[in-house]
Amino acid sequence: MSKPRVAFFDFASCEGCQLQIANLEEEVLDLISIVDVVSFREVMKEHSEEYDIAIIEGSIMRPMDEERIRKIRSKSKILVAFGACACIGGVNKIRNQWSVDEVKKEVYKNADLKDNKYFDVFKTKAVNEVVPVDYYIYGCPPNRDEIKKVITALAMGKKPDIPNYPVCVECKKNENVCLFELGKFCLGPITRAGCNSICPSNGSPCEGCRGMLKEPQTKCVEDVLKRYNLTYEEMKRRCTMYNYGKEGCK
Amino acid sequence: MMENKIVTFSENEMLNFVDRLLNEKKFDVFGVKSKGEKFVFDLLEDSDELRLDHDVTILPPKKFFLPQYENLMDYDLEKPFNVKDKIIDKKRIIIGIHPYDIIAIEQMDKVYLDDQKDDFYNIRRKNTILIASDIQNVSDRSFSSSMNTNIVDSGFDILLTKINDKYAVTIGSDKGKKIVEKYAKTDNATENEIKEIKKARDETSKKYKKEVKNNDWSQLLVANYDNSIWEERSDRCLECSSCTMVCPTCYCYDIKDEVSLDLKDGRRVRTWDGCLIRDFTKVAGGEVFRDDIKERYRHRFFRKGNYLYNRYGFIACVGCGRCATACLPDIADPCDLINELSVFGGKGKDDKFFIKKESKIGETGTIHVPRSATIKRIEKLTSNETLFELELDDKKPLNHEPGQFVEVSVFGFGEAPFGISSPPSDKPIFEIVVRKVGDVTSQLFKMKKGDKIGIRGPLGNGFDMKKFEKKNLLMASGGTGMIPMRSVIKHVLSDENRPKFKNITILYGCKQPCEVLFADEIDEWKKVPNVNCIMTVDQCADGECWAGEVGLITALFPKIKLDRYDSKDTESIIIGPPVMYKYVIKCLQTLGISDENIWVSLERRMKCGVGKCGHCQINGIYCCKEGPVFNYNKIKDLPEAFE
Repeated sequence: MSKPRVAFFDFASCEGCQLQIANLEEEVLDLISIVDVVSFREVMKEHSEEYDIAIIEGSIMRPMDEERIRKIRSKSKILVAFGACACIGGVNKIRNQWSVDEVKKEVYKNADLKDNKYFDVFKTKAVNEVVPVDYYIYGCPPNRDEIKKVITALAMGKKPDIPNYPVCVECKKNENVCLFELGKFCLGPITRAGCNSICPSNGSPCEGCRGMLKEPQTKCVEDVLKRYNLTYEEMKRRCTMYNYGKEGCK
Repeated sequence: MMENKIVTFSENEMLNFVDRLLNEKKFDVFGVKSKGEKFVFDLLEDSDELRLDHDVTILPPKKFFLPQYENLMDYDLEKPFNVKDKIIDKKRIIIGIHPYDIIAIEQMDKVYLDDQKDDFYNIRRKNTILIASDIQNVSDRSFSSSMNTNIVDSGFDILLTKINDKYAVTIGSDKGKKIVEKYAKTDNATENEIKEIKKARDETSKKYKKEVKNNDWSQLLVANYDNSIWEERSDRCLECSSCTMVCPTCYCYDIKDEVSLDLKDGRRVRTWDGCLIRDFTKVAGGEVFRDDIKERYRHRFFRKGNYLYNRYGFIACVGCGRCATACLPDIADPCDLINELSVFGGKGKDDKFFIKKESKIGETGTIHVPRSATIKRIEKLTSNETLFELELDDKKPLNHEPGQFVEVSVFGFGEAPFGISSPPSDKPIFEIVVRKVGDVTSQLFKMKKGDKIGIRGPLGNGFDMKKFEKKNLLMASGGTGMIPMRSVIKHVLSDENRPKFKNITILYGCKQPCEVLFADEIDEWKKVPNVNCIMTVDQCADGECWAGEVGLITALFPKIKLDRYDSKDTESIIIGPPVMYKYVIKCLQTLGISDENIWVSLERRMKCGVGKCGHCQINGIYCCKEGPVFNYNKIKDLPEAFE
């Protein structure tokens, strides 16, 4: 069996997700023993237009991005959204709270951006809002074990097994003190697991970087928040970090 | 029962005792430690860390016997049958287990050390010394006193009770006696001190804030199966399954294959699963058998109060209150639920959702470790289905009966259940038919003759063919239901067995002609004397070649020559997709066949195959253990069976 050819591409993002792969360190050798990495700007200068699996980091912000991602989609057999910006829009969607003009004005003041295609932006989109996505590697940044799990699954030709339950499951297995009981606010109950509850395990509330498992049921969530003296407004504000635009956190 | 021996030591000597245990390198010593304001069982480094004044730990001690993540076996992907089962044998001591958790461990023992013993659990249990501790402080949400689980007189190796400035040490086993003699300096308890133990327990019992007002959960639950309470409460459920994770008596698990990044090694991992999670009942084909959160929410309480009560005789709730604390919307507390239900009252029939049935143990050896088998022949049957002839490498016959199933392992991909398609045989060879739906099946499709796979089984209960002898047989199969039905048919139609049965009717329905399985064999079956074989397809495209009927399988029943049958002398078997049963059963009833003479085979998510992991449960029964073959009369009242 020939090794699948894998190419990494980045759109609007910090490229920290790809860094997670570079950070596999000596395990990168195992990685390249099962896939041929043909394009990976962060760690190599070679580039090829021939690939089977495209791994996409970042959100789609501009018409030129849209054109580029469509081209990548048409060339790849499997397209994987990699990291929060690609999977759900992530922090890039925070700016969707304002109009494009308002955002430009806030950032670039009165600079003349007319006819400059690099500044021709529209509202932030996750990759799947533009082209079909086959698989997702969630998280900001993604968990390295999960990256390995998805890549090995793709190399073996099986469906990656991504949890379809909330972070609470992992948090309980890790025997953490529930952050709600400590008076903190946590998005774990509505966020997809797979991170091994890394934030709550280290005392920080879940910010929802892996995306919502399902839209929070207002009634139930309000009840819970009230029980712990927290407000729904606060929850909406928290959700804005990674999940702006989702029902319940507009 | 023999009276437990009781000795005492001072608080200081208790700490010395723990330190002496810690100094012995042959044990890992775990005890209750604080974690913020809460408590956990964790590795002790010093006796100072031990807290026996804890109210409850976040997780129960089940994590020591059924760990959150557990490697069941390691394997070499390049040589798939280089399998090593991973059984740990380090001796452990756990200090500070409250009585309700001791009772929960005893309940787990019933499940995991039953006739199909879980070797991993068994070794951990054997290698662990349980040092229990009477409750000093009561958790706000605990109601163990009203469950009678706050005091134990057995199940531990030793039990510590704080009396004034001393600890009373109740010896519960030989193991306990030995470590006390070897590692502690004790005095015999005086009569007065023994009285103090009871006094200490009585004092603690007064501290409970919660009380469950009804101890007959089973009948109360059954009477209220359709109560609106399930919907009202589950409306607020976050579906996070925290309640099952922290529960000392929830023991369901999932099994997954993981591979190393270089694809050379793999392992099979067992991890906790919870029935509140939507995908818990999801089968490879995508169907979710308990899709509505109301059903999943209800299932958890029924499992505790009715299903396991019928199976093992105990209420699978020890009143620790962990679920109540863990549940953010506060709907998980069994005490609240039972008290609320008590207002409605009612007494249902205990075993309404349960059937008592002994299962045959076909499986031997280390649980979850498969036998090796070789693919001998691959035959494509239709565009979706392919037949695999398999030979067990130990050359021992599978010894199955029609209707039983096997778990097939493809290392690195996982396990999937398959009905056995060939008739019983004394050779080590059998057949399965694979339809491409999930990872395991997709990978099987890529395999070739000579490749190795793993087999566990035969599992479950098949058809009792002896019971059918001297009877007419009416067999109705829909779609892939023909795969296991073929095992019955080929058994019955063999030269040796044909004389044992009277008239035989085979009805077979498919969606379209191209989906018909075993067409050539069916032509042969038609030639056997006194066999009436009718096939139908739901639709037949123009120009497609089809000699059978067109229409649903139910339309075939009027064609059966009723006068040939004494309906009382007829046994009927149905195997097909879930939607088919209801309609075909109605047809059989119209023919005058009684429910006792109708047999069905049901599909669920059979994962462990040995009645433990919980995924295939239909109300109170395990489809993998009591089934997959059932007498219709016995399961017709199970609401989850034919939904």
